[in-house]
Amino acid sequence: MSAHAASSNSHDHSHDHDDHHHNPGFLKKYFFSTDHKTIGLQYGITALLFLAFGFYLMMVMRWSIAYPHQPLPDWMGCFLTDNWKARWLVDGKVSGETYNMFGAMHGTIMVFLGIVPLGFGAFGNYVTPLQIGAVDMAFPKLNMMSYWIYLAGGLLMCASFFMESGAAKSGWTNYSPLAGFADGQIVNQWLAGQTQWLIGLVLLITSSLLGAVNFITTIINFRARGMTWMRLPFFVWAMLVTGFLLLLAFPPLEAAGIMQLMDRVAHSSFFMPTGLFTKSEGLADLSGGGSPLLFQHLFWFLGHPEVYVLLLPAIACVAEIIPVNTRKPLWGYKSMVYSVLILGFLSFIVWAHHMYMTGMGDAVSTFFQTTTVLISVPSVVIITALLISLWGGSIRFTPPMMWACAFIPMFGIGGLTGLPLAFNLVGLHLHDTYYVIGHFHYVVAPGILFGLFAGVHHWYPKITGRYTSRFLNHLHFWPSLICMNVLFFPMLVQGMAGFHRRWYNGGDAYLAKAADSANVFGVIVRDYIDLNIVMSYGAWILAVAQIPFIINVLFAWKKGRKVENDNPWDATTLEWATPTPPGHGNFTFDVAVYRGPYEYSRPDCDEDYFPQWQAPNKTGEESNEKETH
Amino acid sequence: MEIPYIVNARKDTGLFNAKIAIWLFLASEVMLFGGFFSAYVFMRLGADYPWPERTLPVLPGLINTFVLIGSSVTVVFAWAALKLRNWRQFQIYMWITVICALIFMVLKGVEYNVKFHHQAVRLKDYTVLEGHLAYIDGTKIEKNRIKLELNPGSTITYNNLRVHDAWVEEILAEAKAAGATLKLAAEVKGAEGFSDADTIYFAKDADLTVELLDKFEKAHIKARNHNQKIRTQALRDAWKVAEKQNPNKSNWEYSDKVSIDQEAIKSKLLTDIPAATFVADKSFQISFKPRDVKEGPEQSKLRDDTVINAKLLPSPMDFHYLDAIDFQYLVMKAEKKGIKPEVAIENSWLLKNDPFAREAWAWHQANVDELKKRLIKDYGLDEKGNPNREPTHKELYRIGWKEFAKYGEETHKIKLSVTDKLKEEFMGPNYKARNPDEKESNSHDSHEEVAHGDSHDRVTFPHLSVPREQIGFASKFTPSWNTYYAIYFTITGLHGLHVVGGAIVLAYYLFFGRRMYEENPEWLCNRVEVGGLFWHFVDLIWIFVFPILYLM
Repeated sequence: MSAHAASSNSHDHSHDHDDHHHNPGFLKKYFFSTDHKTIGLQYGITALLFLAFGFYLMMVMRWSIAYPHQPLPDWMGCFLTDNWKARWLVDGKVSGETYNMFGAMHGTIMVFLGIVPLGFGAFGNYVTPLQIGAVDMAFPKLNMMSYWIYLAGGLLMCASFFMESGAAKSGWTNYSPLAGFADGQIVNQWLAGQTQWLIGLVLLITSSLLGAVNFITTIINFRARGMTWMRLPFFVWAMLVTGFLLLLAFPPLEAAGIMQLMDRVAHSSFFMPTGLFTKSEGLADLSGGGSPLLFQHLFWFLGHPEVYVLLLPAIACVAEIIPVNTRKPLWGYKSMVYSVLILGFLSFIVWAHHMYMTGMGDAVSTFFQTTTVLISVPSVVIITALLISLWGGSIRFTPPMMWACAFIPMFGIGGLTGLPLAFNLVGLHLHDTYYVIGHFHYVVAPGILFGLFAGVHHWYPKITGRYTSRFLNHLHFWPSLICMNVLFFPMLVQGMAGFHRRWYNGGDAYLAKAADSANVFGVIVRDYIDLNIVMSYGAWILAVAQIPFIINVLFAWKKGRKVENDNPWDATTLEWATPTPPGHGNFTFDVAVYRGPYEYSRPDCDEDYFPQWQAPNKTGEESNEKETH
Repeated sequence: MEIPYIVNARKDTGLFNAKIAIWLFLASEVMLFGGFFSAYVFMRLGADYPWPERTLPVLPGLINTFVLIGSSVTVVFAWAALKLRNWRQFQIYMWITVICALIFMVLKGVEYNVKFHHQAVRLKDYTVLEGHLAYIDGTKIEKNRIKLELNPGSTITYNNLRVHDAWVEEILAEAKAAGATLKLAAEVKGAEGFSDADTIYFAKDADLTVELLDKFEKAHIKARNHNQKIRTQALRDAWKVAEKQNPNKSNWEYSDKVSIDQEAIKSKLLTDIPAATFVADKSFQISFKPRDVKEGPEQSKLRDDTVINAKLLPSPMDFHYLDAIDFQYLVMKAEKKGIKPEVAIENSWLLKNDPFAREAWAWHQANVDELKKRLIKDYGLDEKGNPNREPTHKELYRIGWKEFAKYGEETHKIKLSVTDKLKEEFMGPNYKARNPDEKESNSHDSHEEVAHGDSHDRVTFPHLSVPREQIGFASKFTPSWNTYYAIYFTITGLHGLHVVGGAIVLAYYLFFGRRMYEENPEWLCNRVEVGGLFWHFVDLIWIFVFPILYLM
């Protein structure tokens, strides 16, 4: 099936998709646009803003951990209004309740409002249709709706900071029964932060559902002529799997969210056990009979695939950037594709490794321990293929490539520190400690975020027609790389020493001040508590290190060095065949694909790259290529 | 720019866009309902109370099943008619489909409505009672509420950070009706030694209003705001000094020695006004939902931290019609303790205090004996001489409304017309017809007399007053009653929303599809096909919902 046939049947009916003939107004062009590229940028900018907000929450938390008895410094508190401080700070110090609020919202914002929209929403939206040679997404209006629902959900969650109840405060996992009775003093439960969190969550799930349906349909039906499955760039495969994960893993959490919402507003007891007694409410006036374990199951049924929803877009970016900058094909493309499919499947059956300590039973634990160990196989295949792809390449250390190169070892540390956690027995010691925090932050922050930074620099010339500054990138990259490790490596150490992840005062309450104290744990805490200050300095400097990035991205928009042509990196995939920046409808010629996505340094070509869209020359050099339809 | 494959399928995939999308969407819907069905399994297997089996009216559910199946057929006919370009026929079949959806929702609405008006209570000894609460003046159903009496001198103290305005207004309305007023108990002024010493913020005897409480809140926040800044600065200064005094030390080593010099800053601070106390001048009564108040004989506390110093009045739950007595939970608890069920039931508060219940229970026991005999007759005995089949716990320990109805028919010769009986299958017990001797407007004062009095009245569903101290947990038949009703309302509610959503989409094609039919009939066909696929899914969900919630 070809694009010819597609356009031939489009004349017999009229509908209003072709709005590129007349100039759309400002609002329609930049806000209510149905163009996948504009929506991708909207996602990207919004997600980066949320990431910055999440980062800010983290800094306040790190202050409380490092200096639990000192007032929040002015430069940190200046974002908060006086009335807010009067309500939520005690003599300028962060109280436990406020810390919980920040902790819950930091996790929620980073995962649901930051990384997923940046990876899937921004890069997926911008790049996927371009890479498969499509004019747009299959459902442009749904795509727009998806963004606006995401924004509404995100703002709703964050707005609850300013309500009487404050924002959600039961961890980003929102475990019942804690989340069930939090904010119980608020009579109108619809106006409680904890409830707003749930409503926001349901909106976010709706948004990602629309996105996922759109992506998968687009990838199945909108591939250009000749774009067979095994000619898809790895990026597209990763997006396809991510789409399926979002499509199938999110609904059970939506079910859990709706049930928890019922628990809050209709006073049901889905997750509230019999005889629940709390300090704030006394014996709960509820029927009881519910199961807190059920919430955890439903949550982690999403929660684990969610990890791969975060990860795959980053790996996808890196897998595109490495071949371009090593000038050689991606090593083991097919095994990477199969691995990512297996990874997607396995990610649905590992969720309960988050729940070893719930007493769900030995047999269940053993099963999930086994599948968890299994899932490391495809992950390792992918990361190894990326690593081997570097071998023997003539590497160009462009800004995207620096980030991509840093991604591999950083994600490697994140992945390898996860292996011990797969085991029940180790879970006994490490569950809910800073080791776990260190592990998944290594995956998400220096891992995934680095991958996404790589993506920003890689596609920036396509989006704007200008390069980002190499100098500013160095200023961003090196401090970030160092500070990430200063920030997260001590967590692994503290975790093994037994530091609990939810200590708002960094262990101060458990401390034994005398060296010969009989409080053995207190002595251990004392030995490692000063690492808190080291990590906090890591965080402050990391914050400063992001400023060059912001300057770079804003400044290069108008002042960066202009690209020489539409394919500045000499890349092979279809997004580089479009004008710069691509207009509405993307391509100016009838797209056809003749070969695989990573044809670099072919001995039979003059150039060291052979784009997918370039028709084979007459000498029969493409004779080994199969006939395509 | 044209989006391709909207009307015609792409040839190598054989699919148009919306068809891929709807199947993907349905896959995610399967996961959504899968989440709820797993929740159902989890709830049922993990229930620590007798799971209500076959408790919903089957007839309306059964009718709904056939209505939905029928509409799934007609939606296909509608699509086929469209494919054959027969607009008229499309209209007819689509009309039938939409009407089926309406019937479904109406029956569902009736079912919900009955539940919302049905009261249940679990006593402290785990006897469960069901029925209707008393009518105050013929129509208004009395709610399950905790009653408090304020007398002259009684006080209400509000937490100035958090006041639920609606409750303030409720209390003011009750006070006004009784001619009482609530006035500020004492003058609020700056405390001695503070910077605002002797400033009078609120004069004594100010009337309680929502606006006044707002002013209190503002004043309190202002003071906190002001003090916070001073205290923060003082703490910062203290830390600066301490850091100088303790060079080369970690801050945890001396953190306990760093504190604010309270006396030094006192003269700069404003007075906090965390609470406002009002006093009543006459007696009046107020009432709250049990969930919202932690009651005590002299002092009760509302959910929003309002403290009321008032006398707790007896707040019984008055059943106007008691229509079920259920000892299953009590038996479950008794068996765990090794107490014989019969003994536990005999010792229950209900049988000890209510003669009607005792009579009904004796009659029920006779029925159970007959049932046991019948089961032996029908299913025989095994080789050890034990019956092959024994009555279930539900049959043994529960007198449901149908059994009460039978009891009434047998003992009082109460007869109902066929239509009334059919109506009962949908709406639950018909109290009026089954209590023919009831006086017209019963004030709820008469309940005790009826409950403990003349049992020879022709009454099927008796009155019963349950004192507050006996109540363990009370709820309407809403999601809060137990996890069964929670999952029932959640699944059927969500399914109902799907029915409504689907019907709106199909109705849109029916009423606004004509233009598209004339311009591009194949496109409309695609839309109807996709809508029809969704409609089948909605039907399929019901096929699972009906057995697990109604039949099992």
